[in-house]
Amino acid sequence: MDILMQLLMSGIALGMIYAVIAFGYQSTFATSGTLNFGQGEALMLGAMVGLSFNGDVLGGPYTNYWLMIPLVLLFGALQGMVVEFVGVRPAIKSKSEFGWIMSTIALGIIFRNVAENIWGRDDMPFPSPLPTAPIHIFGANVLPMELMVVVGALLMMLLVELFNRRSIYGKAVVATSSDRDAAGLMGINTGLVITFSYALSSMSAAFAGVLIAPITLTGASMGAVLGLKAFAVAIIGGLTSGLGVIVGGILLGIAETTTGFYLSTGYKDVPGLVLLLLVLAIKPSGLFGKTTIKKV
Amino acid sequence: MLEIHDLKAAYGQVQVLHGISLNVPQGQVVTLIGSNGAGKTTTMRAVSGMLKPSGGRIELGGKNITGLPAHRIAKIGLAHSPEGRRVFPTQSVRDNLLLGAFTRLTLGGQRPRGDIQGDLEKALDLFPRLRERQHQLAGTLSGGEQQMLAMARALMLKPEVLLLDEPSMGLAPILVEEVFHIIGRLKAQGITMLLVEQFAAAALAVADYGYVLENGRIAVHGPAAQLRNDPKVQAAYLGGAAGH
Repeated sequence: MDILMQLLMSGIALGMIYAVIAFGYQSTFATSGTLNFGQGEALMLGAMVGLSFNGDVLGGPYTNYWLMIPLVLLFGALQGMVVEFVGVRPAIKSKSEFGWIMSTIALGIIFRNVAENIWGRDDMPFPSPLPTAPIHIFGANVLPMELMVVVGALLMMLLVELFNRRSIYGKAVVATSSDRDAAGLMGINTGLVITFSYALSSMSAAFAGVLIAPITLTGASMGAVLGLKAFAVAIIGGLTSGLGVIVGGILLGIAETTTGFYLSTGYKDVPGLVLLLLVLAIKPSGLFGKTTIKKV
Repeated sequence: MLEIHDLKAAYGQVQVLHGISLNVPQGQVVTLIGSNGAGKTTTMRAVSGMLKPSGGRIELGGKNITGLPAHRIAKIGLAHSPEGRRVFPTQSVRDNLLLGAFTRLTLGGQRPRGDIQGDLEKALDLFPRLRERQHQLAGTLSGGEQQMLAMARALMLKPEVLLLDEPSMGLAPILVEEVFHIIGRLKAQGITMLLVEQFAAAALAVADYGYVLENGRIAVHGPAAQLRNDPKVQAAYLGGAAGH
């Protein structure tokens, strides 16, 4: 029983990381119908830049963990704007249906190569800002950093939701998501909204990077698998549902930790992908995806 | 207020507007009538920036707005209640109205701020059905209510010129009457309007001046009263001599 509890707790923490990255996929898909397939690399860059600020890799530490977070968020936002400007905007402008897929993948590979050249190919430990002694919750050993992952992830999604509901700029983002032409008629610069959604998307990934880095290791290749699994979560939960990515993320996280323990770590990626295939076969819009009804 | 000279527009290779000119003077209601496919909606879309014109010149209050993106034209003071209503279905009626005032609420919005809460109340007074439903999601409204929301949302911009594209489309006869009644009230308030309508008789009754569009060209134009009595216009658009 204690072991199961342990697996559930670790699964939830891992799942929330997937949820934050998947949330980033949703944000650009909503406003522009495009996705940044370099999300995993955005996460990796966030973690690497974070490590450069509060680790000793580039002559640091320059700041502590908490001061580093806003700097990494800013970096993530700028990196997302670059991806939008270089990779996505030309594809949208030329009405190329699939150009953005190749260009965002290409940018992701470039970012990984740049990271390998700056920080090397080896994985590095990330200093944990919280005590590394586990605390006991419901009989399970939970790392304080794992709690921080869950709280941080939920807080970020809550803040974005509040922004969307309460502020006129957030309302403009939602309006752009539901009808881009009509939003333009309101005086909303929808091109700018798309840039903003890319900034937000990479910012969430960078945030996920510095949340997970103290638990795992940091390295140029850390993002690829996370980005891909988060994409599966976005599909499982539904590309349009905020609740969907949380549920989808936790489902996948728990599926992985339990399979890893009860079957074999070699199979830990299988249940998530089986889940993905099932969802695609039975409910392609995702567990929480909405099919909108158009009124005539 | 709104002057259109030799406007041309095309969808891909298909030219829809072959150079039309029309003029909407301040404080007047001008209607554009014509059969399906004549280019009425295309004209509206080209004016508001939803579609880039392929030629011609459009001026709003003396400013050249030809080819500007829609959001910049909105900031200069043109509101467009588009064909098919296009309300934001996942947001409340109130949020839809606030979005209509986006150019007044935001930094760099350029429209004078004024009394937004007061204008929101006025809009809800003008459309009492919307007041009852102000906290409902716009997607849950009936077609007629959505039409009223689209009009109210456009008014929230406090526009120099209001474009209304087929405000009566798909509505029950009693609602059509209500919509025209409201257009009459807006005219009395001095709002400059360009109105596209299928109900040519009702449109000519409320308008000061009318243009008849045929195959992307202006076929006839004149004061609304004169068009109503034009035998050719009557035969083609007013259901014979019976009229309204």
